[in-house]
Amino acid sequence: MTDVARMRQRSYSARIAREVLGAWGARIGLAWILLLAGVAVFAPFLASSHPWLLSREGSIQSPVLAHLTAGDVMLLTAFLAMLILWRLHLALYRKGLILLAAVLLAGLAGGAWLKPPQIVIYEQYREAERAGVYDWVLHAPIPYSPKDYLRDVGQTGLQGPLAHAQHRHWMGTEENGADVLSRMIHASRIALGIGFVATGIAMVLGVIIGGLMGYFSGIVDIIGMRLVEIFEAIPQLFLLLTFVAFFGRSLYIMMVIIGLTAWPGYARYVRAEYLKLRRQDYVQAAVAAGIPLTSVLFRHILPNGVAPILVAASFGVASAILAEAVLSFLGLGLVDDPSWGQMLSQAVKSSTFNWWMALFPGGAIFLTVLAYNLIGESMRDAIDPYLKKSR
Amino acid sequence: MSTYILRRLLLMIPTLFGITLVVFVVMAASPGGISAQTLIEGQGLEPEARKALEDYYNRLYGLDDPAPLQYLRWLNNVSPLGFEFDAEGQVAGFGLKGSDLGTSFRYGRPVTDLLAERIPITLLLNALTVPLIYVIAIAVGVRAATQRGKAFDVGSSVTLLTLWSIPSMLAGVLMIGFFASDQHWHWFPTAGLNRREALDMPFLPHWGSLADVLLLFVCAAVGTAVFLAAALRLPARYRALLMGGVGLAAGVAMARAHAGAPDGLYLFLPLLLGVLAAAVGHMQYVGMRVVAMGSIGLLLGIGLAVSLGGGGFVPGFLLDRLWHLALPVVCLAYGSFAFLAKLTRTAVLENLLADYARTARAKGVPESQVLWRHVFRNSLLPLITVFASLLPGLLAGSVIVEQIFSIDGMGKLAVEAVKTRDRELVLSITLISGLLTLLGYLIADLLYAVADPRVSYD
Repeated sequence: MTDVARMRQRSYSARIAREVLGAWGARIGLAWILLLAGVAVFAPFLASSHPWLLSREGSIQSPVLAHLTAGDVMLLTAFLAMLILWRLHLALYRKGLILLAAVLLAGLAGGAWLKPPQIVIYEQYREAERAGVYDWVLHAPIPYSPKDYLRDVGQTGLQGPLAHAQHRHWMGTEENGADVLSRMIHASRIALGIGFVATGIAMVLGVIIGGLMGYFSGIVDIIGMRLVEIFEAIPQLFLLLTFVAFFGRSLYIMMVIIGLTAWPGYARYVRAEYLKLRRQDYVQAAVAAGIPLTSVLFRHILPNGVAPILVAASFGVASAILAEAVLSFLGLGLVDDPSWGQMLSQAVKSSTFNWWMALFPGGAIFLTVLAYNLIGESMRDAIDPYLKKSR
Repeated sequence: MSTYILRRLLLMIPTLFGITLVVFVVMAASPGGISAQTLIEGQGLEPEARKALEDYYNRLYGLDDPAPLQYLRWLNNVSPLGFEFDAEGQVAGFGLKGSDLGTSFRYGRPVTDLLAERIPITLLLNALTVPLIYVIAIAVGVRAATQRGKAFDVGSSVTLLTLWSIPSMLAGVLMIGFFASDQHWHWFPTAGLNRREALDMPFLPHWGSLADVLLLFVCAAVGTAVFLAAALRLPARYRALLMGGVGLAAGVAMARAHAGAPDGLYLFLPLLLGVLAAAVGHMQYVGMRVVAMGSIGLLLGIGLAVSLGGGGFVPGFLLDRLWHLALPVVCLAYGSFAFLAKLTRTAVLENLLADYARTARAKGVPESQVLWRHVFRNSLLPLITVFASLLPGLLAGSVIVEQIFSIDGMGKLAVEAVKTRDRELVLSITLISGLLTLLGYLIADLLYAVADPRVSYD
């Protein structure tokens, strides 16, 4: 690629990025996602029964740090690495490699060094504090862990927001007595993770299958389109239900399955783009120059057809988050971890209607889906040349 | 045309085959799969009874055969053309035979019976929803496109995007919580499709005396007429005032209807409803204003007649059914409506700016005619295409809605079937919903030819 071409490419993507970021809808959406990402990364510090710092008989301890898991460390490292890499001038794939290496290293180091206790007793800090064992304690902003069922308090379960004077629950408690806000903060990890990973899987599958279909057309296209049709003719939710009901309920299986059921949409988009682009001169030139097929497909054609795929991906993340919420709502979600959809289903499960269980987790799903939809909308507006003409 | 339809119907067969194959492979490849053991798991039986039951299920459903054989047997049973077996399991012949969807493991009843009970309910939900969303979406979308950049367009875009993003679980749970549970406003039923008593009622509503019927009609007609006249004749300021007053009164009434309402509710509800109603009254869009104000007048008239009239009113089967369906249909409709309205706006906008529309305007064709005779007809095409993809979406939506509102439709059956690993039921539901989806595509393609004379399938 010559310098001129590189400059041109950069200016196009920069222009699109500027246009997207200029729209107030995308700004709001992005702000919410960033906030959520921050909350997800720092969840163990934001909402935890383990105090940040405490002084016990003259020695200072930090139970929060002692209870960090390898996963937490990996997320924190990823966040810090992204913050540092943001400003560095490096090629995108190099940044990606450094990020991946940092996260892997952190995971390995965390797995080797961190030994969080197997059995966690959340009540011990409150009991010790009441007994006056600590000199001073610095609590997390929300001093409840998601699975802290407040057994020491006695009367637990389903209390409205701020119902209890001593134990303040900003968003009430769920049926076992755990703090709703804390559970929501920790569940944001699941929502964001599912959204990104499932969409990533669907996108990779869609790009490969759709790219092959569009590039070769003919018999490959016919067979591929039948495949797409088959997957589209089964209602996605129903396929998901079948998968999850028969394959068990792990977070990773759920990510893979949502990805596996979402690819036909991307395949359609990619196919249309490739059908359009494959007769272009620069593609013909690349083929004539003897460049290997994968390179033609993914390094020459893909960057030119990536815009509509990114738009679809933004909406796709929203629908992946929704899919997870629906599965959890129907009682086919994760068993032991809190998730927004599962909390929402608790709102009507007991004999009474608990508005805080509906409004807060449901509102979180709504805002996250809205944020991705807003970003998708402004991206679509930015890349649509027709709309620009008509403006 | 008929050859085209026939060809499309024949092309459905491989697709349906593929769909069921995918689902069967998922089931067979799962850990534990589908076997007699998983069927009787957790019943805590004695070893002998367990063995006997396992043998019984194996004999009945052939669950100990290899998976490909099981699938082929299911396929043979389902297809109207296939092998016939005699009592010893030998091939007796090949030819046309009845198609048999098998027996549900869990219910112990033929799948056909179960589906025949459940499918009409889901179809009823969808049949009510689809026309509703199309009518409102077209009304809003066309208006937004013609008013591009103005208040209506901006307001409706924000509202539509918001509506589109509300998960239907949240909407359903909130609706059932606030408007159906007896903690708040017990206006709608919480579950099911009918009250028990409604089954013995006559089909249509029924009154004690003829005078009550007359009163109802007179009140309804007067209410509608007054509000229609107001909507058409009054200037915007007075319309807003009138509607605001109605909204305030409705808010107070609503707060009073809430048992143990906090004081804030008396302020919040009248304000909210008053502002909303005033906005409707102030709206420039004549069509929507007329419909909205007319229906409010109608409701007020009916309310007046009910409070004035004597007793002896029997709601009847139809009203009871509609009353049960109101919340589920709203819950099912709003998301697709928002999607469709956005699509209508884009399509109409695109055509409004097209060269042929400018030509028509330049010739002196009035704007309304340009819009409805030239532009709208061309904008119909994407709306028809979407019809095909709307149907599977609505079927999936029914899963959630039926679950929340406890309606015994196909969606609820599907969730139960996968949860209990009911092989025959899962496969049959896949087959049927796949068939419905493909039929939706076919209908969309045929409508396409109706809307666009350039498209022909001959």
